[in-house]
Amino acid sequence: MRTTLCTPIMYRKSVHMMLLSLPTLAEPQHFSFAEKSIFVVLASSSLYGFWRRFGPVLSRILHAKKDADFHLAPMGKRVWDFFWEVMCQAKVIRQRPLPGVAHALVFWAFCAFALVTLNHCATAFGVGFLDPASAAGRGYFYCAALFAIACAAGIFGLFIRRFLMRPKWFGEELSWESGLIAFLIFALMITYLAAFFVSDTSAAARALWWAHTLTLLLFLPVIPHTKHLHLVLSPFTIFLSRGGFSSIPPLSGDEDFGLVSGKDLTQLVSLQAYSCVECGRCTEHCPANNTGKILNPKEIVLGLRGYLNEFGPASEEPLLGKYNSQEAAFQCTTCGACEFQCPVGIEHLPILIGLRRGAVNTGSWEDDHGAKLFLALERGSNALGIAASERDKFVEKNALPLFDGTQEYCLWLGCMGGYDPKGREIILALVRVMNHLGTSYGVLRKEKCTGDPVRRLGNDLLFQQLAESNLEALTQSRTKKIISICPHCVRTIQEDWKEYGTPPEIEHHSEFLARHLDHLSQARTGIAQTPNESNPENEKIVFHDPCYLGRYRNVYDEPRAVVAKIGELVEAPRHKERSFCCGAGGGLAFLGEEKGGRVSHVRAAELTATGATTVAAACPFCNTMFRDALAAQGPAAPQLVDIAQLAARILPNAPVSN
Amino acid sequence: MKIVVAIKQVPERDAQVRIDASSKWIEEADLQFAMNEPDAYALEEALQLKEKHGGEVIVASAGPERVGATIREALAKGADRGIHILCDDLAARDALGVARLLAAAVQPEDPNLILTGLQSDDLGLGQTGVILAALLNFPHASLILEVEKTDNGLKVKRELEEGWFQSIELPTPAVLTIQSGGTKLRYATLMGIKRAKTKELRQLNAAELGVNAAPVVALEQITLPKKQKSTQMLSGSPKETAAALVEKLKFEARVL
Repeated sequence: MRTTLCTPIMYRKSVHMMLLSLPTLAEPQHFSFAEKSIFVVLASSSLYGFWRRFGPVLSRILHAKKDADFHLAPMGKRVWDFFWEVMCQAKVIRQRPLPGVAHALVFWAFCAFALVTLNHCATAFGVGFLDPASAAGRGYFYCAALFAIACAAGIFGLFIRRFLMRPKWFGEELSWESGLIAFLIFALMITYLAAFFVSDTSAAARALWWAHTLTLLLFLPVIPHTKHLHLVLSPFTIFLSRGGFSSIPPLSGDEDFGLVSGKDLTQLVSLQAYSCVECGRCTEHCPANNTGKILNPKEIVLGLRGYLNEFGPASEEPLLGKYNSQEAAFQCTTCGACEFQCPVGIEHLPILIGLRRGAVNTGSWEDDHGAKLFLALERGSNALGIAASERDKFVEKNALPLFDGTQEYCLWLGCMGGYDPKGREIILALVRVMNHLGTSYGVLRKEKCTGDPVRRLGNDLLFQQLAESNLEALTQSRTKKIISICPHCVRTIQEDWKEYGTPPEIEHHSEFLARHLDHLSQARTGIAQTPNESNPENEKIVFHDPCYLGRYRNVYDEPRAVVAKIGELVEAPRHKERSFCCGAGGGLAFLGEEKGGRVSHVRAAELTATGATTVAAACPFCNTMFRDALAAQGPAAPQLVDIAQLAARILPNAPVSN
Repeated sequence: MKIVVAIKQVPERDAQVRIDASSKWIEEADLQFAMNEPDAYALEEALQLKEKHGGEVIVASAGPERVGATIREALAKGADRGIHILCDDLAARDALGVARLLAAAVQPEDPNLILTGLQSDDLGLGQTGVILAALLNFPHASLILEVEKTDNGLKVKRELEEGWFQSIELPTPAVLTIQSGGTKLRYATLMGIKRAKTKELRQLNAAELGVNAAPVVALEQITLPKKQKSTQMLSGSPKETAAALVEKLKFEARVL
């Protein structure tokens, strides 16, 4: 290695020489009084143009109803979400990589340009603070130039996508405002970059300065008039989110029935309505929209915005009317794909469920199937409307032990596990596994529906009755820990019941099974070293992520671990966080035939197309939906099992097939 | 139109009933109670009439303190006010005794129409409504599926056997006993429950109504039905067996 004979002074000099030989950002050195005056007038008009529109928007948000349950804690999570989702653009990129990166480049360039723009305006008055000739100024401007190049490339790519590729979820109409914004951003970057190639004193430098300034001053008032309002609002929206997935706010006071009219729109809902950037990710992933229903989650949010613009936050005008339709609100399966996808922090589920609450709690929703479900739960114990004695017979016939407070687990049967023939098979498979493991469990003598379907359909009265009645029964039976085969029960008991008491700990059977897999495998090595023919090790099994287990509970790996023990796990194109709903959620399993295509058929076709011979589900509702959908595919359709049934296959003396 | 709906609170549909030590009634301790289903249809009919023609719907029910919850439910669904005839010995009274209580409570209201379910889900006597009509000296009709208001009174649709219906007209005031399933029930709403809190629920003491409580019909004993299972095998071509099955489901099992 050669030693360098270079002193620090020499080094600095050589760097300085090198920098001098590179292009410098040209800034006009002097502005006449007339120029300064024009700038001041234009800048003021631009700011006025911005405020004239933004002021009323801000006022509508601030004058909306306060969110009674809002609290800033925990700050750590908020700061992290802000850093990760806003600063790093993590969700924007992860869920749509190419356009996401293009957007991130534009965003980061905007951040870098904050100082550049301030300095740019300051130079008009001779008070620029970044000297293009100094090392620091030069360094910063070069850095900004790199961002500018990336941004120009990014916005060009986004322009091509929007105007030439035209993805369908952008809507039928071309958005002229998006074109204008793309042009302005492109112009901002070009006028900045071009200034590196002219001299300070040239007329071109002055022309570029003015071109950059005019673009900037035009851009500012355009922001609040278009979806680019998200530039200003969405960082706040993300920071101020409710903090949980599908976090349904409790009703406050005697006059709160959900989202009935403008006076029910809270500050958070209003902020979210104005933050929508119309990217259509929610629509792209919506099972209802993808099967030809009228529900479009993007339009729901924009509908609220339209409402706020026309009627304002204090209005008594119904929310379901001019801008949003009741039919659309009741087509939602509450799968949560929209809320999960949204890059600007809009929480669609509290909005959609809020609209349903408004309609159901006031009695304005009239639906034969819905009323039948509600009456079944008002008068009976389960959503299927079957006599409770049928559950007793099932418990008795299979000699399921009753829970007496001494066992480790209370085995929650749920409506499907207690009454549905296939759901019962899942329970019995799980029971075989628990018996083999020696885990103690018992079932409750009486059980009522957790209230999941009525909660999602917006019937707060019935939900409260069911939650309170169940909480009381669980307290009396001294239940500490529950295990359930149904992700809907798990979610509702663990999260939704909190409004009315302290629910016991609960886990989904996939979590239990994954934890005990090693013990089960030992059982297997004991009896069947070689795979038998009807249950070959290379059986291809596709796992369908239930919405309420995946997006709602973040459980993705446990059921897969069970599947991988039995056969070869294959993935559907849409899996884990992007899983496509089976169509049952949100109470829709009880609402009769759907309009358009069947969600379950679309998903079943996708699962079958993987070439798997077995479809593994982890939710009795998914199971019942796919049962019909796969049957419609004919005899060649893959077989359908629950992961509990897969796990039970490992047991000694297990039946060959479930 | 001023409509009184007489309702009864009965054990919940899913309740597991056990006969008590006296063998004359059921153990009530662990039971959940609900509105008698035919009465729910009577209430629905009353609410629909009120929505069409205006007026007032008053619910009246006799029974112990717990009956208040069922009256509140009726208020939540849209009834305007309630009358609770407090009595702890409802099971000891016969249909005439209960009808006397209702008549005494309802008479001062001077209603145009009294509706009640055609029978109760627990005792199933099917007499209370018609005795009430006799006590008040009102005309009555039973097994009613539809009620229509006319200029002179009412036009009603009665259910007869084997899919036959009868349409009759009668003047008001009248008593009608309503059959289940003639209309669609509405579900209870949160708004209804909240509004019901401010509605009037007047309590009357049975003892103070001055009616004769002595039963003329004495209840001897109640028993659970004997469990019986009979499997029948149907033979013939699929078409014939299907037809035979439908026949049996319709007329023997009566589930179709």
